[in-house]
Amino acid sequence: MQIRFEKKLEPSRKMLFATPILVVVLTMILGAIVFSILGYDGLGAVREIFLTPLTNSLKWQDLAVKAAPLIIIGVGLSIGYRANVWNIGAEGQYIAGGLAATGMALLTHNMSGWYLLPLMGVAGMLGGMAWVFLPALLRTKLKVNEILTSLMLTYVAIQLLNYLIFGPWKSPTAFGQPQTVLFNDWQILPYIIKGTIVQAGAPIAVLIAIMAWIIMSKSVFGFQVRTVGSAPNAARYGGFSENKTIWLVLLISGGLAGLAGMLEVAGPFNRMVPQFPTSYGFTAIIVAFLGRLHPIGVLIAGVVLAITFVGGEIAQTTIGLPNAAVGLFQAMMLFLLLAGDVLVRYNIKIVRARRA
Amino acid sequence: MNIDLTIAIIITMVGASTPLLLAALGELVVEKSGVLNLGVEGMMLTGAVVGFAVTYTTGNPWLGILAAGFAGACVSMIFAFLTLSLFANQVATGLALTIFGAGFSALFGQSFTGKPIKLFKSIFPDYLTEHPILKVFFDHSPLVYFSLFMVFAVSYFLHKTRAGLVLRAVGENDHSAHSIGYSVIKVRYGAVGFGGMMAGIGGACFPLLLTPQWVEGLTGGRGWIALALVVFSAWKPTRLLAGAYLFGLIATMEVYAKAAGGGFRIIPSELWASLPYLATILVLVLISMRHKMSSSAPACLGKPFISSN
Repeated sequence: MQIRFEKKLEPSRKMLFATPILVVVLTMILGAIVFSILGYDGLGAVREIFLTPLTNSLKWQDLAVKAAPLIIIGVGLSIGYRANVWNIGAEGQYIAGGLAATGMALLTHNMSGWYLLPLMGVAGMLGGMAWVFLPALLRTKLKVNEILTSLMLTYVAIQLLNYLIFGPWKSPTAFGQPQTVLFNDWQILPYIIKGTIVQAGAPIAVLIAIMAWIIMSKSVFGFQVRTVGSAPNAARYGGFSENKTIWLVLLISGGLAGLAGMLEVAGPFNRMVPQFPTSYGFTAIIVAFLGRLHPIGVLIAGVVLAITFVGGEIAQTTIGLPNAAVGLFQAMMLFLLLAGDVLVRYNIKIVRARRA
Repeated sequence: MNIDLTIAIIITMVGASTPLLLAALGELVVEKSGVLNLGVEGMMLTGAVVGFAVTYTTGNPWLGILAAGFAGACVSMIFAFLTLSLFANQVATGLALTIFGAGFSALFGQSFTGKPIKLFKSIFPDYLTEHPILKVFFDHSPLVYFSLFMVFAVSYFLHKTRAGLVLRAVGENDHSAHSIGYSVIKVRYGAVGFGGMMAGIGGACFPLLLTPQWVEGLTGGRGWIALALVVFSAWKPTRLLAGAYLFGLIATMEVYAKAAGGGFRIIPSELWASLPYLATILVLVLISMRHKMSSSAPACLGKPFISSN
């Protein structure tokens, strides 16, 4: 007896949407088992990481704060991945965006007015785009693999951050702490619900996901991206320029990652600090896949991953689970999702072995 | 430049190159079989933390290296199962493996953070390792000699043995290899496992050879540089040796520039620290300008193999 895989003519839509749900449930079961084996309270870990953030209404605002950057970056990445363009250096573009926004904030520090935040937003997007410019140029001109170049630049972005806040941007009043000055009141995101920590980042994230959904499903650009990704020959025949598509999707993903960086530095941080790289850019890769590279899926997946982040913090204080455990849960989720893809694309048949 | 400094730089350079060389050699074999495993960084982190933990607990670095190789091979099997048996996307699965390795090593290594071990130094007698000139040959960790041996072992295996020929055939034309009776999937499982072992041992070089402690994210992206080196080498083990040593030299320059001070101070240390990553990009550019990468890459690289019967 042997198992045989037969490629389906078309990916199963039912499975496409069912597998992510199945994957989250399986991650909880597998996680409970693995963490019990590792000597932790496995069931407690799953309860605290996946359920407490939902049942405890005090934690909902934390979810909104954490989900926003994941969704914004995830939407951008998913558009690129649709076109088979693998930008995995979103973390670097996020940092570059945060730095560009910080630069703008420092430049306009003695000014006031509503226009300061939009200026910082534009700076953030341009910063993110600048960080993806080189990978895009090299990919389109010289066919240099964008995976490695975008990732290498992430490490450079971290060094640049350190250089700036230990050097020229260091606040003179921070008693030697490596950080910039606090942004002024016009440079900090407004709170959208009084008395909570939810700032403008959350509604912007929802808006971006909806806009991306409309653009990807209704516009020629969306069709172009999907065709270049799934049928490059047909795209060429149809007159879509592959290089132009690569440029566009990279600039979009870099710009969105940069915007997320701006929203973080002008939001929860209020200044640039060494702790700014929070690996949102890497986690957003999981978000993009869990959301099936669909903007609305990414929106939901962003909340799911935010739950694990918030839950990880809860589990740290309540049952003493190390924070790194969350990363393991997230990786397990991605593994299971990739394994589940086989159900989407293949018919699995069990057949009697034939002697050759 | 005086001779003592030159020798000191060479010894540091060789040490810094060794983890890159080991991990890249493993990945070279994996890619020769037609599989692209982007999880090198994750497997290196796994090897680094397991190698540290076993060395710390047993006091025996040899056991640490064995355990690191074994751990690397184990986690590589997750990748192999997903991509070879379930046809999952190799790029995404490799990324997942890196995220997994980062999470696992951070969790597993937490109780070992800040604890010291002894560096795994040369096992030659003192009169050789302390000799002002001869130490350039003898003052190296056994891991260094192992990595050099593996360059020639891998080269010999790929080009002079039957098994190596089969592995290359599987990477160049999987369906032909299958039709004359070789199991494509088995060969690729073996290659991925070897790559995992080498990445694991490469990871163990960090605590055993470079910084005798465990900190989160110890490998600092060197796994990705190893991947770039494979491209740089045009899939040739001996050219890989040159590439790895070139990168080791760049990493060493950072250390010595910081120590030397003086004129080097003009360049901020962050720029020195960025150099290996910028050099990687530069190298990728130079390669693609010189020749089309596709000409030397294994023809089936990254494509899943689905047997038709």
